Amino acid sequence: MGKLFDVKMVFTNIPQILVYLPVTMELAISAMAASLVLGLLLAIIKEKKMPVLTPIVNLFISIIRGTPVLVQLYVTYFGIPMVQKYIAMQNGTTYNASAVPPILYAFVALAVNQSAYNAETFRSALQSVDRGQIEAATSLGMSGWQILTRITLPESFAVALPNLGNAFISLIKGTSLAFVCAVVDMTAAGKIIGGRTYRYFEVYVSLALIYWVITIVVEQAMKLIEKKMAIPDEVPVVQGSENATEVQRAAAV
Amino acid sequence: MSEIEIKNLSKKFKENVVLDGINLSINKGDVIAVIGPSGTGKSTLLRCIDRLETPESGTIDLAGLHVDLSARGNHKAIRELHQRTGMVFQSWNLFQRKTALQNVMEGLITVKKLPKAEAEKIAREQLANVGLADRANHYPKHLSGGQQQRVAIARALAMQPELILFDEPTSALDPELVGEVLDTIRKAAQEGYTMLIVSHEMNFVRNVANRVLFLENGHIVEDGTPAEIFGHPKSPRLREFISKIDRLQAPEYSI
Ligand SMILES: Nc1ncnc2c1ncn2[C@@H]1O[C@H](COP(=O)(O)OP(=O)(O)OP(=O)(O)O)[C@@H](O)[C@H]1O
Ligand SMILES: [Mg+2]
Repeated sequence: MGKLFDVKMVFTNIPQILVYLPVTMELAISAMAASLVLGLLLAIIKEKKMPVLTPIVNLFISIIRGTPVLVQLYVTYFGIPMVQKYIAMQNGTTYNASAVPPILYAFVALAVNQSAYNAETFRSALQSVDRGQIEAATSLGMSGWQILTRITLPESFAVALPNLGNAFISLIKGTSLAFVCAVVDMTAAGKIIGGRTYRYFEVYVSLALIYWVITIVVEQAMKLIEKKMAIPDEVPVVQGSENATEVQRAAAV
Repeated sequence: MSEIEIKNLSKKFKENVVLDGINLSINKGDVIAVIGPSGTGKSTLLRCIDRLETPESGTIDLAGLHVDLSARGNHKAIRELHQRTGMVFQSWNLFQRKTALQNVMEGLITVKKLPKAEAEKIAREQLANVGLADRANHYPKHLSGGQQQRVAIARALAMQPELILFDEPTSALDPELVGEVLDTIRKAAQEGYTMLIVSHEMNFVRNVANRVLFLENGHIVEDGTPAEIFGHPKSPRLREFISKIDRLQAPEYSI
């Protein structure tokens, strides 16, 4: 046995693990994107209190929020092939399990899971949009779709942004469970390295450092986006607009 | 024939009958003030005419357009009604995430489908008209209440509506800002816009309106020129209402 804790190894592990960073980020970004669309859809169904669909959506959200994501990953991993087998049997064709890349199972499970949480975020953001602006848009003659896309959504997206940022960060960390679907992401790669070197502690410290740095980077990026989305504190100066600069000067005096 | 015809407009909230078979003919260029005690349904009347509220019964006729206001599902007719009428709200209701210019352009682009350059040209003209040419790039939060309301008026006028509804356009404003908004409305009235204005500013009503409606208990109790309404009120309720308002608006006597 060598050293109790090999600090150097923590850092030499990192490049080997980072080879799988694209897998982790691909999974996190694609699942987030899908969960934004699906979550928004669910939120609109709930917000408009659509008949039939609303209770189904409520049940869906309740189940997703009431079960561990690890269990959801297993259910997806074993459930989707069963459905495919069933369909194949019905059609009399043969079913090839290896045709489905493992990352697809993880993508589906994580996207579906995240959409339930995003739905709640979007719904409270939609509710926060004041009725007055919607009535003003209505009385101009804007269509429901125009009001949604041009007034309600931009307004509620700005409100939802901090929560969505946090959701994205926890989703990135959630991808570390994707190994149960046989996906080789950073965590799975770490496990493999650990199995080879018998230095599990070092490799998990390496992983911790990597996830931590990613989180910090994403947090900073979210701050930038939030700042860009915010209504500016100062009156924006438009290039080539004499009036605007004059007003600014007058305001500064 | 009148330009705009409203017939048998009734609206109740649960058991509370707010409008009880209102009939109203409006001529082109009319500036009609609606007065009445608080809670008699002045806002509800305007909101039903603009179909922000769905009444139990009532129709509106504009040139070539007949709308059953109580019907549901007639989206096309309702949207045409929205396009041809305008509304200015007590609380301004500007789009918070859009600049003054974008607020005025919004309807021109989405509803009138004008090219952006043309919409911007019209919007700048309208902002200049309400004295806010230099505030085009300001967001609502950078504007005073009076300025926000003038942007809201510009937004409504830019659509060239056949009827503009004003619901207490100055009552959410600090007293020193009321004048600039009333001047803007007066100017629009002189330009020939047809208007229905709910207001408690009696001096303004006297000077600008050519017709005054006194609304009470769901009915138009009196309908006449400002001289008739303020000079010779017929019903005791109107007389009482006017004397109350006069007392409120003549602070020099109350000291
Ligand atoms: N959404 C609503 N639900 C239930 N009742 C309502 C609603 N809106 C208005 N009312 C009731 O209808 C009546 C008329 O209200 P409305 O706002 O039209 O009065 P108003 O004449 O505009 O009063 P004010 O001068 O205070 O603005 C009131 O009794 C009010 O409580
Ligand atoms: Mg009112």
